[in-house]
Amino acid sequence: MKRTPLLLALLLAACSPKVHDAASSEALPAIYPDYVGVTIPASIAPLDFQLEGADALDVRITAPDGTQLRSYGNAYTCFPEKKWARLLEKSVGDSLQVSVSGLQGDKWTTYRSFGIFVSPDAIDYGLTYRLLEPGYEIYSHMGIYERELSSFRQRALLENTQFDGCVNCHASMRGKPEDFSLHIRGAHGATLLSLDGELNAYETRTDSTLGFCVYPYWHPSGRYIAYSTNNTRQGFHVQPDKIIEVFDLASDLQIYDVQKNQLISAPQVKQEGLWETFPVFSADGKTLYFTRAAQISIPSELPLSHYNLMKVSFDPETGTIGEDVETVIDAHAMGKSITFPRPSYDGKYLMYTLCDYGTFSIWHHESDLWLLDLETGQTRSIQEVNSADTDSYHNWSTNSRWFVFSSRRDTGSYTRLYIAHFGEDGQAGKPFMLPQRNPAAYYEDLFYSYNVPDFVTGPVPLDRIRAQKAVNASERVPFGFRRSR
Amino acid sequence: MSKSQKWIAGGMTVFMGIVLYAFFALKYPYHLHFQEQYQLFESTWSYFAKVAWLPGGLSDWMGRLVTQFFYYAPLGAFLVPVLLLGIQLLTFAIGPEKNLFSYAVSFVPSFLLAAFFCDENALVGGAVALLLALAGVALSQFVRRNGPRHILEAVLVPLLYWACGGIAVVFILVTAIREGKRPGAKAVPVLTAMVVLAVLCPLAARHIYPYPLERLAFGIHYFRYHNLVPALLWLSALSVVLAAALSSFRLFRKNWLPGLGAWVLALAFGILLVLRTADFSKEEWMRYDFMVRMEMWNRIMMSADRHNPDSPKTVSCLNLALAMTGRMPDSQFSYFQNGPEGLLPSFVGDYTNPVSTGEIYWHLGMVNTAQRYAFEAQEAIPDFQKSARCYKRLAETNIVNGDWPIARKYLRALQHARFYKKWAGETLALLDSGDIFERRPELGKARDFRLTEHDFMFSETEMDSMLGLLHVEHPSNSIALDYLMAWTLLRKDLDRFVEFISLVNAPVMPKAYQEALLLRWVHTHEDFNGLPPYLSPVFAQRITRFIADYQARKPEAQMRKEYGDTYWFYYYYRYRS
Repeated sequence: MKRTPLLLALLLAACSPKVHDAASSEALPAIYPDYVGVTIPASIAPLDFQLEGADALDVRITAPDGTQLRSYGNAYTCFPEKKWARLLEKSVGDSLQVSVSGLQGDKWTTYRSFGIFVSPDAIDYGLTYRLLEPGYEIYSHMGIYERELSSFRQRALLENTQFDGCVNCHASMRGKPEDFSLHIRGAHGATLLSLDGELNAYETRTDSTLGFCVYPYWHPSGRYIAYSTNNTRQGFHVQPDKIIEVFDLASDLQIYDVQKNQLISAPQVKQEGLWETFPVFSADGKTLYFTRAAQISIPSELPLSHYNLMKVSFDPETGTIGEDVETVIDAHAMGKSITFPRPSYDGKYLMYTLCDYGTFSIWHHESDLWLLDLETGQTRSIQEVNSADTDSYHNWSTNSRWFVFSSRRDTGSYTRLYIAHFGEDGQAGKPFMLPQRNPAAYYEDLFYSYNVPDFVTGPVPLDRIRAQKAVNASERVPFGFRRSR
Repeated sequence: MSKSQKWIAGGMTVFMGIVLYAFFALKYPYHLHFQEQYQLFESTWSYFAKVAWLPGGLSDWMGRLVTQFFYYAPLGAFLVPVLLLGIQLLTFAIGPEKNLFSYAVSFVPSFLLAAFFCDENALVGGAVALLLALAGVALSQFVRRNGPRHILEAVLVPLLYWACGGIAVVFILVTAIREGKRPGAKAVPVLTAMVVLAVLCPLAARHIYPYPLERLAFGIHYFRYHNLVPALLWLSALSVVLAAALSSFRLFRKNWLPGLGAWVLALAFGILLVLRTADFSKEEWMRYDFMVRMEMWNRIMMSADRHNPDSPKTVSCLNLALAMTGRMPDSQFSYFQNGPEGLLPSFVGDYTNPVSTGEIYWHLGMVNTAQRYAFEAQEAIPDFQKSARCYKRLAETNIVNGDWPIARKYLRALQHARFYKKWAGETLALLDSGDIFERRPELGKARDFRLTEHDFMFSETEMDSMLGLLHVEHPSNSIALDYLMAWTLLRKDLDRFVEFISLVNAPVMPKAYQEALLLRWVHTHEDFNGLPPYLSPVFAQRITRFIADYQARKPEAQMRKEYGDTYWFYYYYRYRS
């Protein structure tokens, strides 16, 4: 009986193509995804890849201590998860050397080997994100998913097969899986708030505010959530290069006090003639960053819509929004617009997206990630990670050593997730695409875009059935309202 | 049954098959096309796994497998009776009594299903689910010994729940009737176990599948609108149980006349039900939509000549055919017109309207709008399926817009679909060779007609500006000009019409334009002195008569008889904005 696996292995080995008479190439292998020279965390799933035009591969990955992991035979690599994890463990702080031989036609070529640096900086347990088809107004199947980064395991947290509606913005409290805000649009519209694992459906509209709470961001204490409230519309270009614009006809900011169940608002963040959106708290929770633009005529003047980065003080003790609103980056003067500000959790940087105009940078091909050094006030394009196509929605890992962002660099239409290392020196490493088993086939078959990615420190304890009941029920807990002192 | 009764029964089934085939092939074929275009059946393992893993998924997958053949309506019209008569034969087979009466009664579920299929949102998977549930009953009947049969029945409950979804309850009910009638069998514990299993199945499924309990109990993919329970399908399922119960009574065991009578009654009931549920106005619209999809422009006009279309959807198809054949400026008002909605229907966020309206924008050269409409229609499909027709259009629009990686994505998916793979494969090869626009002139034309110099947001309220720019940027785009002129005429906006008339460069001023210009002349002049030479005196005389008759308040019917082919009649008697 024990002979059977051995025989099978021998048979498989006999069928697998072997490298012979391989030509040497000084070129780096054209692999998909491009993992050449990337920096990865030690707890990442195997970086499987394929070589362009190759029918078979022989790939050897060598750890600094000489341990080797080999994948051969298939047109794509298939590294065993456990062996891969052990190899990475041994290589922390050093580089793996990857040697690729590919069979193109009937000829083998061995390419110049390349390195993959295994960073000593840890990464969080996983990611949460929304998957949906990149479309216009109407939505089909979509959901919020959780992906364990050390494996290929993806788990649905909530899908719109469970109710009539659109699963919208999801935000966890600094990666804490138990605390999150999740907005549902449509017939069963609600904002689901999970606080220490207790889930409730809220009605976030009040008589004193513009509408639903839209873009959320948690205060580091967990007591507050900053929301924008937006009166959003869509427009559709007739020219080939552009597709869709999403713009606000009005928008304000408000802060939700979790303890008192009250929205806090102040005139300085809901000014007449100005549109405020994308609020985020600083790492110490004492500053509220947001973007703001002057009101214009929509859609005719949309290309003149330029959002600046602003800040205002916030007192977490009293929940008071400061009086003086300051401009941090005058994007209007640059003829640009800022979206999605995200302060690093260590308080040193703020990452944002810069595009030509408006708030919908995810459909702007020119959108790039930029970095603001909060100590020096210097800002720069993160050339290390930007591409020729859209690089937009981003979030930091809880230790601020990694960030995830979405990019359309792969096909131009479907956003894919990339993770990049961020060093103490403020430099980012080359980003790597979220690993998948047989990635070319996976992404080829995937008609969804990744949306609103964020890190989580553990599995999200969302009871799907309870959440479904809460959304489908007609009862909603109403938000209260108070004015900032 | 006696030999003669078997012959009669066989005749009934064959007759029913012919009637059903004739109905779906001749009276209702476009509903079959409609069904086919709102799915993308891929012959891949991953597609099977994705569909079949849900409760009822196997029957859904089999239903989709059958539906793909609706691409050819005669083939679909053959498969539907095969499915329905399969259910009829199984209904009869599982009944305890085999007589002509029970045979006649066994037709009832199939009649109900035939009526169910008259609804364009009925999915074939629902009927397949019933077929599988009945096959389960038939299978368990083969086992004579109580113990093994009870084990099989217990195994079949969850298995059928997975394969058929909630309709597996038919298996439980029919088995309950049968087990209850077995002399000496210990029915109560068996039935209790089955009922417990039946209740547990959806409850357990709730923890595995992201669906509400009611959908797990009443079926996920029986009907396109998931929040509606298809009454006819469930009535059909219940009628199977009733048929089994009825046939248990040993009525009319030998005599075949009551059986024939019951069959005639069942047949009359079936025909009445089908005629009552069939929606021939939808069938008419689907026919026009199909002809637009297949670009059968002359056939559309021949249809319109036989019977003037009158709904905005059908009229918009006719208008597109008129424009595509260059007849719109002359003949548009020879047909019924119901305003601008019959030219360019407003966007409706459902899964049907944007598909046919998107065809108009595609031919106009508004490629982005055609893409949006195809995408939106597909996203709006209530059961979250993909549409082969929309995928094809999306591949085309992405090719035209130069987004070839995205186009390839759609094409590769279409390569797995039986009736699209040849086109998709050829298109991929043309993309690889780089001469796609030479070999596919319709794509080259769409590329050439796109707006490239002016960028603005699509707006239904500024349609004339968009159509005007299409023609100004590409003067060879005569369809855009025809639509521009027709848009102003249908809105009765003669000032705008006159503004645009200089764009018309025809050797003879088209009839509708002459009529409109004469009407405006009459509005602004006291006589015909100084009438431009491109306006015919014959038309001038006719409008004079028209005005006289109009002022004499002649009845509308008489005016329609005399002037129904003129713009004047439309202007005064049709469409109130």
